[in-house]
Amino acid sequence: MYHTKDKTHRLAWIIAVPLMLCLLLSGCSGVKTLEIFKTEVEREKLDLKKPTPLELEKLQWIIITSENADEVFKRLEEAGIDPVLFGLTDKDFELLAKNFARIRNQLKITNDLLDKYKEYYEGDLKKENEK
Amino acid sequence: MFGIRLFLIGIVATAIAGGGFYVVKLQKDNAILKANAIKLESAVAEQQTLIENQKKDFKEILDANKKMNELVSVLKKDLDDLDKRFNKKNRDVGKLAIAKTKSIERITNGASALATRCIEIASGSPLTEAEKNATKKSEINTECPSIANPNYVPY
Repeated sequence: MYHTKDKTHRLAWIIAVPLMLCLLLSGCSGVKTLEIFKTEVEREKLDLKKPTPLELEKLQWIIITSENADEVFKRLEEAGIDPVLFGLTDKDFELLAKNFARIRNQLKITNDLLDKYKEYYEGDLKKENEK
Repeated sequence: MFGIRLFLIGIVATAIAGGGFYVVKLQKDNAILKANAIKLESAVAEQQTLIENQKKDFKEILDANKKMNELVSVLKKDLDDLDKRFNKKNRDVGKLAIAKTKSIERITNGASALATRCIEIASGSPLTEAEKNATKKSEINTECPSIANPNYVPY
């Protein structure tokens, strides 16, 4: 009878000690919630300077007809200018004027478009210029 | 007898311990719920700010589009006006130049200077006070009033 009780005790210890150890170890190792911090870093501004506005040279148009041609060339020689002219017909002159107007319009549109993009992505240009 | 008492004490002790644990659990849940509520409130506020910013962005985009379309149409009008100037009432610039060489030369040089200034303005050159304040036909840059004279209203 005594022998059986002793055996039971020992068996209880054999089961209890590892069980307690397991509980002790697992109790210490709790799973923690993982926290991820996301900090938004704003992209650096491109901040390119706008190109310097054009300063164009003034040019002189000379109209030559069959009647005034001699007079025009004489005037050029008197002024020390080579008596040579690069000519355009009246129709080509019109086309040249229209072509320049188209280039001007495209330049204006591109320039304004650039301003709008800069204003939208890099803030108010007027406010920044005032600073 | 002793066994039954021990059993009852065990049950009572277990009930008290269970109750205690339950209360602690409720307190923890309550704290989590409070934290969640705060997070939700801040999330709602962030969303509202985001929606406001998006509305502002959409408005800016619409305004920019509108202004660009307006610019394109006024520039087209300037181009049409130039075409009209050359061909108004079957005008032939060549014949006019033969008939009135000096005056056409003067007009051409004047217009050329104005057109040159138009290109400078289009490239970003700032407007002069005279250009800004021009309201009369005699004061404007006839080659590109839409970009050179913002205060001029055609009449």
